Amino acid sequence: MQKTSNNPARGGASNWGASMGKALRPVIALTPLLAFMGIFFFSPIAAVIVDSFHDNSGEFSLINYVDVLREPIKTALITSFGLALVSALTASIPGAILAFLIESRGSQRLRQLIASIAGVLANTGGVPLAFMFIAALGAEGAATSFLKALGFDLYSTGFSLYSFWGLVVVYSYFQIPMMVIVFSPAIHGLRREWSEAARTLGATTAQFWTRIGIPLLFPSFFSSFLLLFASAFSAYATARAMTNGTIPLVPLMIGNLLDGNVIFDEVNLAKALAVAMVLVTLAAMVPYLVIQRRAERWQK
Amino acid sequence: MRLIRTRKLPLALAMLLAGVYVLLPIVAATEFSLRQPAKGDHGFDNYAWFMSDPDFGKYLGISFGLAAYSAIILLVVLVPTVVWLNLNGAKFRPFVEFISLMPLVIPVVALAIGAQTALPEFAQTDETVLAYMFAVLALPYAYRTMDTGLRSVPLRTLVEAARGLGAGWIRTILLVIIPVVRGSVLNALFMTLALSLGEFTLTSLLHWDTFTTWVTTMSQSNILGAIALSMFSLGAVFALLLGVGLFVRHPKSNVVSEEE
Repeated sequence: MQKTSNNPARGGASNWGASMGKALRPVIALTPLLAFMGIFFFSPIAAVIVDSFHDNSGEFSLINYVDVLREPIKTALITSFGLALVSALTASIPGAILAFLIESRGSQRLRQLIASIAGVLANTGGVPLAFMFIAALGAEGAATSFLKALGFDLYSTGFSLYSFWGLVVVYSYFQIPMMVIVFSPAIHGLRREWSEAARTLGATTAQFWTRIGIPLLFPSFFSSFLLLFASAFSAYATARAMTNGTIPLVPLMIGNLLDGNVIFDEVNLAKALAVAMVLVTLAAMVPYLVIQRRAERWQK
Repeated sequence: MRLIRTRKLPLALAMLLAGVYVLLPIVAATEFSLRQPAKGDHGFDNYAWFMSDPDFGKYLGISFGLAAYSAIILLVVLVPTVVWLNLNGAKFRPFVEFISLMPLVIPVVALAIGAQTALPEFAQTDETVLAYMFAVLALPYAYRTMDTGLRSVPLRTLVEAARGLGAGWIRTILLVIIPVVRGSVLNALFMTLALSLGEFTLTSLLHWDTFTTWVTTMSQSNILGAIALSMFSLGAVFALLLGVGLFVRHPKSNVVSEEE
């Protein structure tokens, strides 16, 4: 931009016009995306935030946030947080091990195949996923019957698919593949030269891992963990299909407040609850995105 | 990867375990879906049950229509922006990246509440609104895929050549750029399709009916039929996504093959 406007060879008026045109170009180029996101994403989110600070008569108030910290919502927040934490933990570790084995020992072909399958599995959810697990691990399920034939009655242990731990098991079906997807690039990026260099300098395998491998991989592992946490925390379709309200969870509670299962007046409460939810996912996703961005540099 | 290449045994074991874990629920549910309690054998009665329902075709049509529409919306909004970013707009890249990643950060439930109150009138008359919302949800994936694709080609040269030969911008994008990065575009397209076909949260919270919510409704009347319907819908999305994964070249896999 600067160059053209300082160019003495050009005439004044057209010069000004050209630089105006250039200055306007980013505006024109960005307008479709910004308008689209503005209408369908930012304005809804802004409305949620603004409304959450108003009581049911439309006056500014913090009453909704007071209610969010009261029962029964308090319990739902704690349960959702716990579920997300446990689900992320139980999925990230096997997922990371799987990713490591596939990346370090699998052929190029196997890796591509796994990437495709993981992409599919990470997208399952809702009623179909619920049915799959009911068919496998429900009271009448195939695996349950098989275990019973072997002399182990799963349901005598107090296990239920419709409980907290049942949800953890069901969520792992899309969480573990998601871990494989997001964590694999980090393992792939570990250079063989680094382990060779370490070895040449006299490091043992254990030393390589404790001093180089794990410190390098940990940020990626942690950020993947955060992604799984956010995904479990905001999962709605699967939770709804599995529990039917038997477990108090934040997304379900918002859904109920919206579905008019309660007094319509509480819709602003649902918005405050949504803002609380956004704050939790922001706290997980922002570090996730920042760490991923930084990790991408050495992964290439 | 290039670390120690020792025994493959742990990998084989892990694959076996993972395979059982992945397949068991699918096989079990498929077996359930083929049960015919009245006849006491297995067959396709449950599949025939939902396929003969007139709503089956109707909702399948609605869902595919919405999916296609959202993919088109996304292409129209995204392609010119990403092309421009890669030509002249490098300093706006972090900003656009930030915008396009936002839908990952906000839970769909929260977006649904906002959409209930703050969408413009024109978007609320029928379920078409869902197509716009699905496009929002798919934006983070689609943006990344297309950006990676465009970065890997000599975009400036292509554009200058096309423009030099007298092509306008629309022609350049449609006939030069999109064909060159067709892998990425197809990838983004299919991801949007798959996401739209399986979307439940927004659809149900905004009280529209598509194939996914119809499956939920049907599950209350005939459990075996509903399992059959679920397996059908899963199978359709699996086929779509696996097809993309296996037949469309991943932009990432280019990088891998260059390195090795």
